[in-house]
Amino acid sequence: MTRSRLPLRTTLAISAGKAAAATSRVSGKGEGMVVGGKVMLRCAPKALTDLAGDRVAALVSATNGKTSTTRLLATAVATTGSVVTQPTGANMTAGVVSALALGDREAPAVLEVDEAYLPGIVDATSPKVILLANLSRDQLDRMNEVAMLARRWRTMLAEHPDVRVVANADDPIVSFAAEQAPHVTWFAGGQVWTADSSVCPQCTNLLARDGSDWHCTGCDRRRPEPSWRLDWSGESGVAVGPDGRQFDLTGLGLPGRFNASNATGALAVCAELSLDLDACTAAMKTVTAVSGRYAILDVGARRIRLLLAKNPAGWSELIDVMPPAPTPVIITINSNAADGRDPSWLWDVPFERLTGRTVIATGDRRRDLAVRLLQAGVDHLVVEDPYAPNAVLPEGAKDLDVIDCAATYTAFHALRTRADKEAGTSA
Amino acid sequence: MSDSIVLASLFPTLLGTYGDGGNVLTLTHRAGLHGLTVEVIQVDPGDAIPHQADLYVLGGGEDSAQVAAAQALQADGGLATAADRGAAILAICAGYQLLGHEFPDAAGKPAPGLGLLDIRTDRLPARAVGELACTPSPHAPDTVVDILTGYENHAGATHLGPEAKPLAQVRAGVGNGDGTEGAVNGRVMGTYLHGPCLARNPQLADTLLGWVIGQPLPAIVEPEVEQLRAERLSIVLGSDAPQSAPISRPDA
Repeated sequence: MTRSRLPLRTTLAISAGKAAAATSRVSGKGEGMVVGGKVMLRCAPKALTDLAGDRVAALVSATNGKTSTTRLLATAVATTGSVVTQPTGANMTAGVVSALALGDREAPAVLEVDEAYLPGIVDATSPKVILLANLSRDQLDRMNEVAMLARRWRTMLAEHPDVRVVANADDPIVSFAAEQAPHVTWFAGGQVWTADSSVCPQCTNLLARDGSDWHCTGCDRRRPEPSWRLDWSGESGVAVGPDGRQFDLTGLGLPGRFNASNATGALAVCAELSLDLDACTAAMKTVTAVSGRYAILDVGARRIRLLLAKNPAGWSELIDVMPPAPTPVIITINSNAADGRDPSWLWDVPFERLTGRTVIATGDRRRDLAVRLLQAGVDHLVVEDPYAPNAVLPEGAKDLDVIDCAATYTAFHALRTRADKEAGTSA
Repeated sequence: MSDSIVLASLFPTLLGTYGDGGNVLTLTHRAGLHGLTVEVIQVDPGDAIPHQADLYVLGGGEDSAQVAAAQALQADGGLATAADRGAAILAICAGYQLLGHEFPDAAGKPAPGLGLLDIRTDRLPARAVGELACTPSPHAPDTVVDILTGYENHAGATHLGPEAKPLAQVRAGVGNGDGTEGAVNGRVMGTYLHGPCLARNPQLADTLLGWVIGQPLPAIVEPEVEQLRAERLSIVLGSDAPQSAPISRPDA
């Protein structure tokens, strides 16, 4: 597809969208991805289809890990040349349109897509590969039921029989969504959070589990045999492909089992795209921070490693990435719209695993967190601004070179903004 | 009654969407403060409902899980037996609805409930999502005096029959949909409050535990909990919120 083949209406819409995005940037309201995309879609409703053409290599969707997996995959695909992807996590229709319009118009695209928006975006962009990694509860005040999302994915794949699917066999909900697609590559991506897949999404009988294996006690549904798997040692991982070929993920810049799992899924997509998998593995190791995740930031008087977790499944994984007790950590809980207004999910997170240290509880919902930690038997200190020079912090916290700070979505972005602003004023 | 309380957590895998496991944790935690011990039995679909538990807890869940849970409880019959025997039951949201005569299924059609509470639930015109604050009604157990605080997220309009009495009167939020919130019928208590409910309302937890041991429990105040209650109530009720969270209770 070339620029000259875009319909005039879409070309004009792109100009209007770019102008809107620039206005938004100048006025300091952000990068303008969403505003620009919305203007483009209003001027030319078919802009997404026109811009996608046949160059969408892969779409990535999941409750957790979309942004990191997309960055890993885009970096791998970039071993062959230019790639279009979102610079930020703008993953609904407007963000996807913006990424395609603002990036290299000839380059293949690797895009992350919100779970609920995936069917519409698949319709409009005809991707070669779709990566489906996990589905669990998230923002229950906004999102559909988990089972409902899986049914919508299932219908979507039935309507697109030619698309190749890479799906996590360890997640029964994802497996249900992908099981009837003609071209599925299963990978064993693991599933730490099982509370949203305790029953069969079809017959609602209880699922029986043995390690990562699972089967339904009421019907024939069982875990598909994966052709890709991750062997995780507790520190590092090896991705093993269909022919037994091994890809050592030691040295991956992103921490934790779940990022090694993200890399394994991304490698399976690279195989579908017939890329050089050794080169892809090497490229993925160079990714260290993704849109601020795992970045080391100076905030006020503290230097932090910033971690993002948005829901119980994400928190369950993240707790293992934090340094062991007795090292204190900061946990920041907000309940703005993008965090989910209702923090009752705090009671689904196994905070008990933080015992033996003092947790610094902060954010708008620090008092909810304090009650949760009280009952979990975890020592805690409620601090409104732990970054103030004179903040009262637990013993040892001020001596750490870097303290881990795990935050919900809006708290995460507020810390990045604050660090940027403070870096600007001190320069 | 011995001082070890048997608590059956019913189908947490089906009914546990809104941090409802926190109610079981809170009961265990509060019991510990009062020098009581709790044995928790987790009941999964396919398991028989234990007949001899002192206290049964049901949480909230998605529509299809709610129907599955109601069918399993109906087929087993053990919960009705326990209720007849005078066991205490706490049911939240979807669990509350399914204890009534009928509730709407995923398609909005009436599905049969257990009939342990004299209530019927149909659909609200718009989903109720947000903070809920309510004052204990004159029918509430006399050990429940403080304002109740929680979060609601449901589409049910619940209508109380003559046997069921409202747990509370709504100050902010929707609750049952007619200005009342929750229902009490003997030792069966249902509510739309989650957050989870008992973590934010320890008097409710102590009331349930008191029913089981046959005597009211003394007030034990935890500062973290009172600070959370004061914060939520001041956000929801503004200047109408109690200036300091009341901790008094009537002499038993």
